[in-house]
Amino acid sequence: MDKKMILDNGLLEQYLLGELNATECEQIEQALASDAELKSHFDQLEEDFESLGLENAITPPASVKSQLLDQIKSASNSPKVVALQQNKRSKFYLGVAASIAALLLVGSFWMYNQLNSVQEQLQTVETNNSELNSTIENLNKELESNKTLYAAIVHPDTEQYILKGNTQMPDGKVVSYVNHNTKSVVINTERLPKLDDEHDYQMWADVEGEMINMGVISKDTNLMAMSYIDHAESLNITIEPAGGNDHPTVERLVTNVYLD
Amino acid sequence: MDEQGLTFGKSLTLMHNDNRLIQQLQNKDEYALSLLYDKYSGAIYSVILKMIKDEGKAQNLLQDTFMTVWEKAEKYDASKGRFYTWVYRIAKNKVLNVLRKTDPLIQTDDFSVYTHKEDAISIDSEYLELNGAITKLEAHHKEAIELVYFKGLTHKEAHQEMDVPLGTFKSYVRQALKHLRESYAKTLGLLLLILNAL
Repeated sequence: MDKKMILDNGLLEQYLLGELNATECEQIEQALASDAELKSHFDQLEEDFESLGLENAITPPASVKSQLLDQIKSASNSPKVVALQQNKRSKFYLGVAASIAALLLVGSFWMYNQLNSVQEQLQTVETNNSELNSTIENLNKELESNKTLYAAIVHPDTEQYILKGNTQMPDGKVVSYVNHNTKSVVINTERLPKLDDEHDYQMWADVEGEMINMGVISKDTNLMAMSYIDHAESLNITIEPAGGNDHPTVERLVTNVYLD
Repeated sequence: MDEQGLTFGKSLTLMHNDNRLIQQLQNKDEYALSLLYDKYSGAIYSVILKMIKDEGKAQNLLQDTFMTVWEKAEKYDASKGRFYTWVYRIAKNKVLNVLRKTDPLIQTDDFSVYTHKEDAISIDSEYLELNGAITKLEAHHKEAIELVYFKGLTHKEAHQEMDVPLGTFKSYVRQALKHLRESYAKTLGLLLLILNAL
């Protein structure tokens, strides 16, 4: 295809305007590639058509551009979207796994705390239990002793002797229950005046002029059993140093009673 | 003339960036597409509107055209022609495809149906008006260019439309382009003069 023919037939214009078929296009392109003058003519033509186009431009609505860009984003992202979704899915699973792990961790910690607290509670319960046990034991002992004392007091053979306080103890008295058959002595010390910590009341039996120890009177209880001494003629109570004495301090005799 | 000068100057300034923008476009740079769209969408939209005479369809076709530009960017070969020419051809083909699909009746029916249909389409007549250098051409030159460039007719269709022999029609086009060239060269000269003065 020679240059003159191309120019005379307006083939460049038709080529530019896209009117030619593929074969014709190829011929024109070859001619353009080999002929600089023809090419420059075509360049001019293109430039003029472009100027013509730009001069007649009508601004399209902005929505077209935004839709175009949206379309491009969604189109070019579509393979990525899959990846993203997979990513999202794996992230989701990762999230689930992390949540489970976190839950397990929190759960373990909670259970560990619970275990500790249960152990503490158990210890407390055990302590309480042993305390209760010992309390029960004490109560039982007390009950036993009270029963014994009560039995001793209410025994039909039991005699009651009142030890009235002398001038040293005008307001005090001790009630004693003596049973010669069962050989028991129980005393009620409710009315004994309180002593300081350095002194105790001590009870003695007078056997043929000799004072025999019957025991130190406890400060903690009102009713207690004392040692029964055979052939006692009288019961005596003295104030002695705390813990009792081997021999009675006669000067500090506070009360006594003769047994019939 | 000043307005033309400005438009032309703008296109000159932008031309320098085109090659880089097109490369970026071919590398799937959305921003490059955005800039090229800003530059060329108006011219392309005008052509599409004048061909299809329906704003809604024209907007869809414009979007479709630039979508193709985006997708087929690597097929554009700068050595074979200007980017604008390439986009113009894509747009024109798309519009013609739509017109062919929707106008089988027009092809078979007589010419009055075509004109009737043309009248029935409601479009702001402003969109069909031409501006710039082309308005200064003689009526038959103007019509020749309008038919092939803005209405998408082939030379063969256009010479029938104008009812002149094909050879005459081709010379109309050539003459018209020559006048346009002179007009643009004057603008370019003026622009260069201004640039020199600055």
